Amino acid sequence: MAQSITLSELTYEIAGAIEDRMGGHSYWITAEVCDVKKYASTRRCYLKFIERENNNTVAEMRGVFWSNSYSQIENFENKTNQVFADGIKITCNVVVRFHPKYGLNVDVFQIDVAFTLGTRELERQQTLERLVALNPEIIRFGDGRYRTFNNTMPLPSVIQKIALVTAPNSDGQRDFKQELEKNKYGYAFSVTEFLTQIQGDNAHKLISEQLILVAQQQEKFDAVAIVRGGGSQTDFRPFEDYDLARLVAGFPIPIFTGVGHDRNTNIVDLMAREQKTPTKVAALIIDHNFEFENKIITLKDYFFERIARLLTSAKDDLQSIKRLVKMASPDAVLKKGFAMITINGKIITDPAAINENAEIQTRLRNEIITSTVTKKTKNEQGPEL
Amino acid sequence: MNKALNYNDAFAALEKLVAEIEDDDIQLDELAGKVVQANELIKYCDEKLRGIEADIKEKIKE
Repeated sequence: MAQSITLSELTYEIAGAIEDRMGGHSYWITAEVCDVKKYASTRRCYLKFIERENNNTVAEMRGVFWSNSYSQIENFENKTNQVFADGIKITCNVVVRFHPKYGLNVDVFQIDVAFTLGTRELERQQTLERLVALNPEIIRFGDGRYRTFNNTMPLPSVIQKIALVTAPNSDGQRDFKQELEKNKYGYAFSVTEFLTQIQGDNAHKLISEQLILVAQQQEKFDAVAIVRGGGSQTDFRPFEDYDLARLVAGFPIPIFTGVGHDRNTNIVDLMAREQKTPTKVAALIIDHNFEFENKIITLKDYFFERIARLLTSAKDDLQSIKRLVKMASPDAVLKKGFAMITINGKIITDPAAINENAEIQTRLRNEIITSTVTKKTKNEQGPEL
Repeated sequence: MNKALNYNDAFAALEKLVAEIEDDDIQLDELAGKVVQANELIKYCDEKLRGIEADIKEKIKE
């Protein structure tokens, strides 16, 4: 009969071997996480670390954040604006543990946030370069900004019919609609909602699907708003996706984004017209419409002013003509004490027509004096009086 | 007075008459006739102008 030991004796042996070889050492490892289960109330997080090569898992091990290191997860989410969730790759400091009942796992003490930020920045640069290189007809980079078909297309003078792409019952949805409804100018808006998951692994595909639905009825909309509530627990990844960014860049209706990142602008933002929050997107649309109304008001004022000026100047012109005509009328001349000479009712302007002994009429304003010319001499003083 | 005459034409005719009236060589008997004509045109322009003004005011109210 073979010699045997109990299972616990075996696990004790393993624990001893591991303790001898690895006890007291901590290791920095880089791996992808999956099966992440966070328990915020007890401040624990269970997960699996995996390493893949050509889509095959080549290493896998369970890991735990205990309550003394749970704050590392919160710190990671705050600093990276990224939810600590399945699929992300992290570098972290771990200690190997072996428990007789639960087996082998690593306890995580610290996450290297700089590694994640660096990796993300690298990926982001690669995605942006690929967008520009492969889509020169809709995306160009120059003077420090990305000019896309979408973010350079002119906005309609008035934005009233809006396709709202957002998560159901979300803060973003509520903030956006409230801001529009309470606008102080009393503008009416028609908002059609395209509700979708806006965070998580599949979000970029779901958002794209909704955008395609919008594009299929593009004549119904003046603009699209993609919004999401803020807060620190935001997941930027869907908005860094190449396909979604490309769809937005070439989208036939102007897109505004307000996805709640205070610290960084994501790639989809760069392809569209970016505002930081849903409220700011709504405020911008209201301001845009007010700008149009303002132009109309100015034009109206100018129009009325111009009419008033035209009428006044026409009246003034007519008034001065009236004066000129009045001054030139024979009646006005007679009123001033001048006289007209007539012979047989015909006005005499040429003195040669008056002979000595002729009977002439001197017409004053109210009287006609009939007299006979006895003498005619030259007026040596001339017409000057 | 030609009823189809518009304000600008009437005013232009008036300006022409005034230039003629102001001409030193004008015959006095012509002058009286021109003054009568000018006064008719002034009356026409005046009425037309007030009509236009009232019309615009009415349109603005709409």
